[in-house]
Amino acid sequence: MSTKEQKERIELLQGTLDLLILRTLLLGPTHGHAVAKAIEFNSDEVLQVEQGSLYPALHRLVKRRWISVEEGTSENNRRAKFYRLTAKGRRQLVVETSKWDKLAGAIARILRPAEQEGES
Amino acid sequence: MRRRKRMMEDLDEDIREHIAMEAQDNIERGMSPEEAHYAAVRKFGNVTRVKEEAREVWSVAWPEQLLQDIRFGSRTLRKSPGFTIVAILTLALGIGANTAIFSVVNAVLLRPLPYANPGQLALLPEASPKQGITDAGMSYPSLLELRDYSHVFSGIAGLASHSLTLTGRGEPSEARTIVVTQDFFSVFDTKTQLGRSLLPGDGEQGAAPVVVLSDGMWRSQFGADPKIIGSPITLDMRPYTVVGVMPAEFRTPFFDQADQLWIPLVQDPLFSGWMNHPPQTHWMAVFARLRPGVSFTKAKAEMDTLSARLAEEFPAEKGWQIQEVQPLQQAIVGDVKSPLLILSCAVGLVLLIACANIANLLLTRATSRSREIAVRIALGAPKRRITRQLLTESAILGIFGGVAGMFLAYLGVSALISLLPPGLPRIHAIRVDWSVLGFALVLSLAASFVFGLAPVLSAAKSDPQTNLREGARAGEATSSQRARSFLAAVEVALAMVLLVGAGLLLRSFARLTSVSPGFEPKGIVKAMVSLPQFQYSTQQQWTAFATELMTRLQTAPGMQDSACAAPLPIKDGQINLPFEIVGNPPLPAGAANTADYVTASPRYFSVMGIPLLRGRLFNASDSPSSPPVALISGALARRYFANQDPVGRHLVFGFFPPNGTASREIVGVVGDVHDVSLGKKPEPMMYVLFAQAPLYGCEVVVRSKLSASAVAAAIRTETHNIDKNLPVTDVATLPGALSASVAEPRFRTMILGLFSAIALALAAVGIFGVISYSVSRRTHEIGIRMALGAGRHDVVKLVVGECLRLTVIGVAVGILGALAFSRLLVSLLFDVEPTNPLTFVVASLLLTTVALVACYIPVRRAIRVDPVVALRYE
Repeated sequence: MSTKEQKERIELLQGTLDLLILRTLLLGPTHGHAVAKAIEFNSDEVLQVEQGSLYPALHRLVKRRWISVEEGTSENNRRAKFYRLTAKGRRQLVVETSKWDKLAGAIARILRPAEQEGES
Repeated sequence: MRRRKRMMEDLDEDIREHIAMEAQDNIERGMSPEEAHYAAVRKFGNVTRVKEEAREVWSVAWPEQLLQDIRFGSRTLRKSPGFTIVAILTLALGIGANTAIFSVVNAVLLRPLPYANPGQLALLPEASPKQGITDAGMSYPSLLELRDYSHVFSGIAGLASHSLTLTGRGEPSEARTIVVTQDFFSVFDTKTQLGRSLLPGDGEQGAAPVVVLSDGMWRSQFGADPKIIGSPITLDMRPYTVVGVMPAEFRTPFFDQADQLWIPLVQDPLFSGWMNHPPQTHWMAVFARLRPGVSFTKAKAEMDTLSARLAEEFPAEKGWQIQEVQPLQQAIVGDVKSPLLILSCAVGLVLLIACANIANLLLTRATSRSREIAVRIALGAPKRRITRQLLTESAILGIFGGVAGMFLAYLGVSALISLLPPGLPRIHAIRVDWSVLGFALVLSLAASFVFGLAPVLSAAKSDPQTNLREGARAGEATSSQRARSFLAAVEVALAMVLLVGAGLLLRSFARLTSVSPGFEPKGIVKAMVSLPQFQYSTQQQWTAFATELMTRLQTAPGMQDSACAAPLPIKDGQINLPFEIVGNPPLPAGAANTADYVTASPRYFSVMGIPLLRGRLFNASDSPSSPPVALISGALARRYFANQDPVGRHLVFGFFPPNGTASREIVGVVGDVHDVSLGKKPEPMMYVLFAQAPLYGCEVVVRSKLSASAVAAAIRTETHNIDKNLPVTDVATLPGALSASVAEPRFRTMILGLFSAIALALAAVGIFGVISYSVSRRTHEIGIRMALGAGRHDVVKLVVGECLRLTVIGVAVGILGALAFSRLLVSLLFDVEPTNPLTFVVASLLLTTVALVACYIPVRRAIRVDPVVALRYE
């Protein structure tokens, strides 16, 4: 059953990355590199994703029509794909965020007593 | 999928850009360019893996799963070959029959007519409601009037048809000649494959005679000679120059022969003389093409105005009007539409029964597979996935059954074409083409979905926990046994509908063929001899020819008696003429007495066995120079001379061009004859003496004990002894002609009979399956009953009772369905009520008997149950 566990872990990671991308695009359309930078910067460089894994995630979101893609020019005048949050993606972000909050809350409740025990 | 292409195409560039940007950032942070690049690449990660993952995002999971399902499905089907073969054959039968019938429906009803913009083409029949005449033709002056004063049509053309004698190329033969006004080809808007079609100039008086050939005529008579254009051919001993050859698919509406030719009206030996006939001669079929954007309703409104105007211009036309502007397709297929649709319904029912049968088989299998499915659900297979797997299995059955069905249809269609009544329009267009195969494929997939639902629904209802429990068989099957009984009852009901339909048609056909035609057909051979009119132009010549031929035939060895007449009975296209009774007050304008007109030689009545009721027959004292005489039929005497003696009275009538109207003395009354068809009541008829009203040719009837071919040969020999260029056509025995006249009802009856036989067999198989499964499931119960003292009799009652219950329910529902279905049949029934009780009773009994026979084997198995073995079993 180890494959199953592995799969779940990947799914969890994927879901998280998706959520971060959606959250980033909420501020406005931008290109892939800028998304990676924003995630790093906003999490005080705690979340060090391998930048490449961003791309399959972007593809997945495009496929689900949560984000759309358009041609644009980056700040240093290079041609680049710009990703934009769609209405559907916006709704999904709300759903995902509340899911995440619940999950985080649940995990926190499980972990807190242990911490208290450890402290005392 | 466009998004996928776009995203994947640019991915390489995107990655390069990304790394370049990152490197740029690194340089700004103070790294050397080389260092910056490597840092960026490191941070990006494995480029190949990223690309693969991105591709995976877009790759679709279902083809792979489908492949799995197909592989698994075919494996399970292979494992139970008996079931698979029965299911595929059943389906093949259903699909094959449906596809064959569809190929006919497609060719006759659905495929557009082979002319440009066929939706604009219309037929313009005339009618005189007061006289009760409909679907009549038009005169040439009326056609010209319409052409000159109507605005709704872009073209109007008229045509008439007969046979001309083609000589100079081997045996003289009859060529189906379509005599057309000059606009014919522009109305139908079809290009020739060779040369040109008719031009307006060809229709002028004094133009050189020209002819356009059909593709079939060009191939069969002229060996597809590419240099035919410009060469002369001989029709009725007169040369015509070939100017064009039409493409193969082009046929004149209503004339489906492959071999035909077209000549301008002015060049025809007969009809050119009719161009000046007054408007009350309704002899041309008139076709028109609507201008783009003009509706049929609008065209009809204009026709009403023009009809009023025609009536004013030609007072004799009072009461006549353009009956309707009839869409051509409707005019051509109108009569066969409802029989074909009924056949389609019937064959659809056969397919439904086949589906019910397969569903039943699948349900039985689903029960034995319920544990397998329960295991798979328990192991985590989502129900959706199981549903898909079950449907895929059905679809595999569907496709195999469909392909086998297409093969059956391919074989069946050629058999079907040979069975089809020759009068069916567009018969030549029937074939198994892509649209027919597409129909078969869609139908088989739809069918497989219908019967595939059964196991899916039963799987959805089943509870894996009960199914996994050991020995939990009895409880599980109750609902699915009920479903099986339901399906079997449905089969019985559908079979009942078809049986009643077939029974009604059979009774109707028996009634029709037992009608006495009014003459004695046995031992009579008929043939037609027509005289080319350029050679034989006078009435004297016509009479002389007929007399000579009769004399020769009377003395020929083996010929007992012979006569000639025109037209012979049992023929669509009788000559219906108005007549006046001398001494009766004149009829109001626009009203007319009419009767069917026949010109006959004196011996006609004795050859045909038509009895004389009063007075005398024609005899030797009647001649061209003696006072004109006539015989009337019993129907005419009853209708117009009720309580009077018609013999000695005079009628004024005559057939148009040759002999005009004359006052003729009624010398006798003869028996009624079904002159149009067996299914139509004998109409009033009047006979004139051939010598006093000859025609350019006649139909010969010869009574003889010799074989039909010997008689035909004698007729040919004697005709050619008079003139070797005369064609002898339409040779047939009268019984054969009579049988051919009911070809259409016979075809319907046969096909519906075949369908109901298939339905009966399938229903029997269905009942057999359900009852024998039920017996095997109840072995334990039967064992207990026997152990407790039940006798064989009780066991038989138990099983037969179950069988009868579902049969009776099926029959009862079927009777309701049959009442609805037989209402559709009304127009096809002759002398039989659609609710004919005897038919319903016989069908119910037949079905019940078959059901009882079908459960014979299960009953035997049930009474052989050994209680000891049955009880030990669990």
